[in-house]
Amino acid sequence: MPANSVNWAAKVLAVTGKDIISEFRTRFAVNAIVMFALVTLTVISFALGVLQPAAEIMAAMFWIILFFAAMSGLAQAFIKEEESGTALILKLSCDGIVIFFGKFLFNLLLLIVLAILIVPLFIVLLNTTAENWLLFIAGLVLGMIGLSGATTIIAAIVSKASIKGALFTVLSFPILMPLLAAVIEITKIAFIDGRFSDAAAPIQMLIAFDVVMITLSVMLFDFVWRH
Amino acid sequence: MWWKFLIYLVMTAVIVLAFITASPMNPVSSLGGPEVYRIFYFHVPQAWVATIAFLMAIFFSIRFLQTRRMDYDVKASTACRLGLLFSILATISGSIFARMTWGEFWNWSEIREVSIFVLLLIYGGYFAFRSAVSDEQTRAAFSAVLSILFGVSAVFLIFILPRIYPVFSLHPTDSIVNGRISITMSPMVAIIFGLSLVSFTALFLWIYKLSVEIFTLARYRAGER
Repeated sequence: MPANSVNWAAKVLAVTGKDIISEFRTRFAVNAIVMFALVTLTVISFALGVLQPAAEIMAAMFWIILFFAAMSGLAQAFIKEEESGTALILKLSCDGIVIFFGKFLFNLLLLIVLAILIVPLFIVLLNTTAENWLLFIAGLVLGMIGLSGATTIIAAIVSKASIKGALFTVLSFPILMPLLAAVIEITKIAFIDGRFSDAAAPIQMLIAFDVVMITLSVMLFDFVWRH
Repeated sequence: MWWKFLIYLVMTAVIVLAFITASPMNPVSSLGGPEVYRIFYFHVPQAWVATIAFLMAIFFSIRFLQTRRMDYDVKASTACRLGLLFSILATISGSIFARMTWGEFWNWSEIREVSIFVLLLIYGGYFAFRSAVSDEQTRAAFSAVLSILFGVSAVFLIFILPRIYPVFSLHPTDSIVNGRISITMSPMVAIIFGLSLVSFTALFLWIYKLSVEIFTLARYRAGER
């Protein structure tokens, strides 16, 4: 069994690695996501000017930027395969579950790159700071795992449709609604220097959401991928 | 045949009784005039039918993925069509009800209003997706997967979110049944409400049956060409 699971992990990493290499060639998804986030951030920081909004509004703004930036690029993982005609080869080469986790990791990496760039800019441009950094990062990581986990299967679904980009956002939003509500609550508590115990309920819900969505995606992914 | 006439008779009776009997208002915790509470007889059954339609869509989606039989796809998508119709009706009647009792047409802190709005978004996305896929099998399988994902997300939204997020429900929890599942309405109100619930459900099932037949025929006609 250990050899088998090592083998399995190696396959997953191979899929992620392949996507990273092809991403480095075009830089399409990274460019789309980062530029979208930058533009949105600029608009928000211009619009606010010297105002110093409440923590609730800051937290909501932060996740609006992250959500829409993610929506602009995460669907690429599967659309790219369909457009370049490589989906069939990928289907033949390994199991659906391996593909799912490979793409999930790749999307998660994209989001981490995005967060590393956008969090400092958000702090600087909006002249704010998270009072509880540990809680802020915990919420961010859990939120990004859920964001990537729930949207990977949707990306596979919309890759077969004729209008992809708009549909991806439209389908993702109702599914991500509980996640966004929980994560905005956590970020708000982190902005106003709350403790972990204050955010216990949303963190529990977020972990439950992540686990349920990833499990469900694994169960349903073959229906989409093997079609 | 007889039950169609029965729906007609019962629904007519409900509409007439809803306006001529005493208002279903609970005098202890009520806002607005007593007359506005009559919409209760129509608003609650609409929301109830919208919920049934959503559950039916999920059920038939699961059945489709198990069996791959296209008639389950027709059943699931028809349930969504009628679910959309009744959700819109429930949203409009609920919004009017809210304006007359709570003072606003819409309140984002009210969890039921948030969830019916997300339900409308779900149906919108579902049909936008269906219209964007031309292959019948792909459309059926993918929209089945989508409705299961939507269903699970709705569980989080309706049952877990209210515990953590500063949303609250203005909807009374004890106007129909209280915590010990005993009916708290006066006998006359309970009878009219029960009849309304039954006749709305029967009407829904009738429209549903007809729609399934129509869409099944349309599918065969399209296949012949």
